[in-house]
Amino acid sequence: MKSTLLKMSKVCKSYPGVKAVDDVSIDLFSGEVLGLMGENGAGKSTLIKMLSGAEVMDSGEIFINDLKVDVNSPKSAQKNGVSVIYQELITMDTLSVAENIFVGQLPLNKTTKLVDWKAAEKKSSDVLSLLNSDINPKSIVGTLSIYEKQIVEVAKAIHKNAKVLIMDEPTAALSEKDSKSLFEVIDRLKNQGVGIIYISHRLEEVFNITDRVSVMRDGKLIGTKTTKDADKKEIISMMIGRELSQFFPEINLEKKGVAFKVLDLNINGIIENINFEVHRGEIVGLFGLVGSGCLNIARSIIGIDKIDNGEIHINGKKVSINGPKDSMKNKIGFIPIDRKHEGLTLDFSVKKNLSLQSLDGLGASFIINNSIEDSIAEKWIKKLEIKTPSVDVQVKNLSGGNQQKIVLGKTLETNPEILVVVEPTRGVDVGAKMDIYKMLEDLCQQGVAIILVSTDIPEILSISHRVLVVSTGKIRKEFKKGEANQQDLLYEASLN
Amino acid sequence: MKAIGFKLNTTASLFIFLACLIVLFSFTSEHFLSYYNITSLLTNISYSGIAAIVLTLIIISRGLDISIGGVIGLTTVVIATLYSQNDPLPTWLILLIGLGVGAIVGMINGWCITALDMDPIITTLGAMAITRGLAYVISDSQSILMFEDTTDYISNGAIFFIPIPIIIFLITALVFSILLHKSKFGRAVYAIGANEISAEFSGISIKSKKMILYILSGIAASLSGIILIGQTSVGMPQHGLGTELEVITAVLLGGTALSGGKGTIYGTVAGVLILGVLFNGLTISGVRYVHLQIFQGILLLVAVATYEIKTRNEVAR
Repeated sequence: MKSTLLKMSKVCKSYPGVKAVDDVSIDLFSGEVLGLMGENGAGKSTLIKMLSGAEVMDSGEIFINDLKVDVNSPKSAQKNGVSVIYQELITMDTLSVAENIFVGQLPLNKTTKLVDWKAAEKKSSDVLSLLNSDINPKSIVGTLSIYEKQIVEVAKAIHKNAKVLIMDEPTAALSEKDSKSLFEVIDRLKNQGVGIIYISHRLEEVFNITDRVSVMRDGKLIGTKTTKDADKKEIISMMIGRELSQFFPEINLEKKGVAFKVLDLNINGIIENINFEVHRGEIVGLFGLVGSGCLNIARSIIGIDKIDNGEIHINGKKVSINGPKDSMKNKIGFIPIDRKHEGLTLDFSVKKNLSLQSLDGLGASFIINNSIEDSIAEKWIKKLEIKTPSVDVQVKNLSGGNQQKIVLGKTLETNPEILVVVEPTRGVDVGAKMDIYKMLEDLCQQGVAIILVSTDIPEILSISHRVLVVSTGKIRKEFKKGEANQQDLLYEASLN
Repeated sequence: MKAIGFKLNTTASLFIFLACLIVLFSFTSEHFLSYYNITSLLTNISYSGIAAIVLTLIIISRGLDISIGGVIGLTTVVIATLYSQNDPLPTWLILLIGLGVGAIVGMINGWCITALDMDPIITTLGAMAITRGLAYVISDSQSILMFEDTTDYISNGAIFFIPIPIIIFLITALVFSILLHKSKFGRAVYAIGANEISAEFSGISIKSKKMILYILSGIAASLSGIILIGQTSVGMPQHGLGTELEVITAVLLGGTALSGGKGTIYGTVAGVLILGVLFNGLTISGVRYVHLQIFQGILLLVAVATYEIKTRNEVAR
């Protein structure tokens, strides 16, 4: 009979305007792996943050070994034996493995009161061998592979007597071989009575290694199933739940010839032999989970990620693109994933942002022609219905939706014939979403070829004419419009 | 003080501060407002002012150039050495070579910073040591006298009673304020400093812009060197010692942010004037040079602290 290690009861957390976690109760037994699944924004991360002390819950209770505990800081979480291994590893790369494992508690020599390195290295080796690993404790962590860094993080957690270990997408950046090794480590930890909460988008591995699966959606716990009795399609429908929203425009496709084509794009270890073409007036969706390589494909098209080999053809001609400047010359527009850091200059005004990509066009001389710049700003404010008090307001003061429209506007001002859009509606309100879809529809009708990278499944299914599913750097499947439903897409993307 | 700072914009409050200083010193010394003192004050600040104007653009782009003083010293030595040869080149060519010294140092700085992605502070710190060292080597640690009409005219001549260095300073300020505030190039400089990644995504060629800035900064430093050689009639490796500190202080005092993306030429002009008036006023009121140095250091720290406090308040709001 396994004992209950952890119990979270009726936990709630709200942020302004959104209930991130809504009355969620989960429990975890010792020696168990509990899978935690859900779409982006389902509330998994917030739940984990409350358990690890990174966020404080609004209401609810946490019990460890049936004792109620207060978790209000990462330190108190650690004291209670809860450790998290985040997707973005937080190892101290310039220090040794032993220093990472013993951070803040290096053993001291009894007489000299100096660090006893021999003891630290010996103990590190002991912990690492528990994990079936032969990493040298003297190695500098920065020189290790991602998998080895993960093992160091696990070792650190074990050293701190973690009873509850939370792993957030641990295999996202791992090769198949390393993933297998990690699963063996997880097995060992189970046998030692550690309870593991395992967050992953990858259905296959969740089904292989977990004992139970909890599914969250829109901040609520939808249900918890025993893994061996559960069905994959059932889990997926629990994750998605909602039906396709009605507001997606129907975008007709009139094929007018191939505008854009990539041939055998390769980035060693990241994307492999990517081939696809896009017609004028067509929207081709690229769908993949975190770390699938979708984003790298998009970035390699504009030369931000350097390809190792492969060709890009525009209107049948081979082009070479070494960066955004080249891509603009070749009439490729790009809407980056991170509007605050990549898309906008937050301290600049609305006007200066909208004209930034078209600086050369602001008059014939080297002086900026103010009336041309004003007319550009006014054109896009009107066309995209950007809500701003004036053209001189700094964009950092605008809402996410209006900011995103400005990113779209500044790119469209360059008159692209090919448009790569990455997550165009992430963190954007419904009204602005509709305006953005409307704009994409107009562009299609004008014959622009659009490549849409999105993890929003209803969005990509509804507005793409074709969807290419990418997983571990390869295109795995192509669906024409209407051929696939949400389950199919997620299923294909989670295979590797 | 605080209330004024928040109500007025930074540049306006700087000019008010400047006016206060002028009023103050006109009381402490009867000579302060004399024609002779005012022109000598303005002439003195012109030479570092020129470098400060160009450095403003570099700091706005989130860079820094501390090789300015070294370049000044090297330029004076190169020019004086060339002139002291038995059969010297024509003066215009010597001066052009002098400007070339700054251009080459700027080019090397720019190359390290853009192609090798080196930190601007370290790069130009290295360049400072190298240029200063070269100046000592070329001159054999000696001062080289140079009595020459053209440099004398550049530094000591006047047009309509306005000394030529002041005219050069004003023209530099005017040209660069148009370049920074009105031109496409200037907009790109602000964009690079405010967010280099988004500037790159916007198709701005960052490397060539930075390269141009460091070359301009080198040329400006050499121009300062030419003015200095005319003022002193000597080329020597110690010329420009500590000028980088003076120039950086003036730029930061003028409200340009080390974190990039913010700053104006008017602010720098105000900073240069404040520094000049303060030093001149204190000197003629009897304060010793060694004490002035302490003042300058404090002023630099106050300028940066004011900016940090202001930013923190903005974030808090």
